[in-house]
Amino acid sequence: MKRSELVIAAFCFAACLLVPLVVRADYNLQVLFRVFLFAAMGLAWNLVGGYTGQLSLGHAAYFGAGAYAMALLPPLGVPIWLALVMGIVAAVAFAALIGGVSFRLRGPYFVLATIAFAEVLRLVAKNLPNVTGGDVGTQVPSLFTHAISRSFYLAAVVLTAAAFGITVWVSRSKFGYYLMAIREDEDTALSVGVNTARVKLEALFLSAAITALGGALYGSLFLFIVPDQVLSLDISNEIAIVAMLGGAGTVLGPILGAVVLETASEIFKSVFHEAHLLIYGLLLVVVVMFLPEGIVGTVNSWLRRRRAALAAGARPQARRVSTP
Amino acid sequence: MDAFFSALQAILNGLLTGALYALIGMGMALIFGVMRIVNFAHGTFLMLGMYATYFIFVKTGLNPYFGFILASGFLFCLGYLVYRVLLRHMPVQSDFMQILLTLGLALIFTDAIQLTFGADYHQINLPLLAKNVHLGSHISLNAPWLVSFALAVVLGSGMYWFVMHTMIGRAARAIAQNPYASPLVGINVHRVQAVSFGLGVAGAGIAGGLLLPVFYIYPTVGDQFTLKAFVIVVLGGMGSIQGAAVAGLVLGVVENLTSLYWGNEWALAVDFVIFLLVLSLRPSGIFGSQRV
Repeated sequence: MKRSELVIAAFCFAACLLVPLVVRADYNLQVLFRVFLFAAMGLAWNLVGGYTGQLSLGHAAYFGAGAYAMALLPPLGVPIWLALVMGIVAAVAFAALIGGVSFRLRGPYFVLATIAFAEVLRLVAKNLPNVTGGDVGTQVPSLFTHAISRSFYLAAVVLTAAAFGITVWVSRSKFGYYLMAIREDEDTALSVGVNTARVKLEALFLSAAITALGGALYGSLFLFIVPDQVLSLDISNEIAIVAMLGGAGTVLGPILGAVVLETASEIFKSVFHEAHLLIYGLLLVVVVMFLPEGIVGTVNSWLRRRRAALAAGARPQARRVSTP
Repeated sequence: MDAFFSALQAILNGLLTGALYALIGMGMALIFGVMRIVNFAHGTFLMLGMYATYFIFVKTGLNPYFGFILASGFLFCLGYLVYRVLLRHMPVQSDFMQILLTLGLALIFTDAIQLTFGADYHQINLPLLAKNVHLGSHISLNAPWLVSFALAVVLGSGMYWFVMHTMIGRAARAIAQNPYASPLVGINVHRVQAVSFGLGVAGAGIAGGLLLPVFYIYPTVGDQFTLKAFVIVVLGGMGSIQGAAVAGLVLGVVENLTSLYWGNEWALAVDFVIFLLVLSLRPSGIFGSQRV
């Protein structure tokens, strides 16, 4: 991204911070909260899934780690802000374990291993009622005490801005080029001296940390969490789909994906009621069949083709001018 | 002595469940192991098999042990169409795109069933359900599970024979070995793939039909089987149909023993732990080497 584009992005985020001056209804603010929450987590997923090409469907593990740290630590006397940090620590610890095992696997095996880890965590959380409240769930203290919807909305915008900043940095740094080299050809990256194991883990740590913050915010807003919700495959899928829909490996893609997917599913829920999952499934099929590069990716390659066509068209035109 | 008999009972029950797992796993071994299509709708197809058999039973009164044949025919056609219309024409042929596509299909089918039949639990009552076969004074086996075990063994063997000894089965394995050379020797790749995909889906559908008498059915009943099917295929070794059959039986026994000693709620967690151990320690599967 150019410097001018970054300035525009900064202005956009500043404008988003002012939205609560206009939007005051709790429901609307919560929908917007969800949009930004998934934008942030989509950006986080994009670091491993988009730039590094390691398509994880286990991000619910980090999401759940953040949410459960928020729920379980404050009753033990841990200050709530420290619980937030401990959630990140727990998620990074899980990332070390999950990455350590699954980064050695490729293709579908990697995807399946990340799912399996998240599922094991979900089942453990379900089956240890003394620790986690089990299947019934557990209460989460609220991070903010007044102007709740507005505060959570602003927190989600800040998290998205931070994730966006990290993504911009990654897309232009040496670290980011290492990641993209791994995506394009891991063996070649290894042979030219990229420490692929370490770089992949570092990307996953960043991704897990942001996702854990997302989980903590989510649990803390809704005040109650159950394993089948915060550690479910549905959460992992949604995070990945947000990024894939917008365009994996692009800076803007996950944000756009979150805006489209979250508003679409909110509209589907109110228009189609029980059929909203059917429409959601159709949307997935349409993306795979017609927009495999995501919205941003498709627009980019269309622009590239158009520019190439214009460049090719310019030459014969010049000749035609010179003939008469 | 009681401990011995309860363990033996669990192992026998495990083999009965395992035969159906084997059938589910063999279908997945064909789709994922041989054809390398990552099918996240496998459990959904199983659920469709259950509902199709249920629908036939409710409408015509046909016994599910015959009705499943019709249902599997329907699922074969469905699988064939899914391959012909969607999987074949994906613009980007990657694992993750297949995952997204099959996840989308799973959502569509699950929600369609929910809209048609409702989210309620259904169950059918067969007189067979109450019957038990006693072996000695300590062991008793539930009759419907014995029937489904026998049918699963027959159909599983049939599927194995089909993949190993018919032209289409050989062609499917040839494509797995070399997707570039097989059209050169005259194999119609897409037709063979479509038939194999249909067959794998039908395998899941058959298992669904056989599970119907002993299960409550509800729209998301199949979800648990999707990941299990992947576990079975990886456990059995990619591309090995007979490996998947053995792995299905093993998984059934392991689950039943876990339920006996640790409680039912840990069975699925143990599945995944075994899966992760196999993937990290012996990626070619427990049984045999990676063949394709």
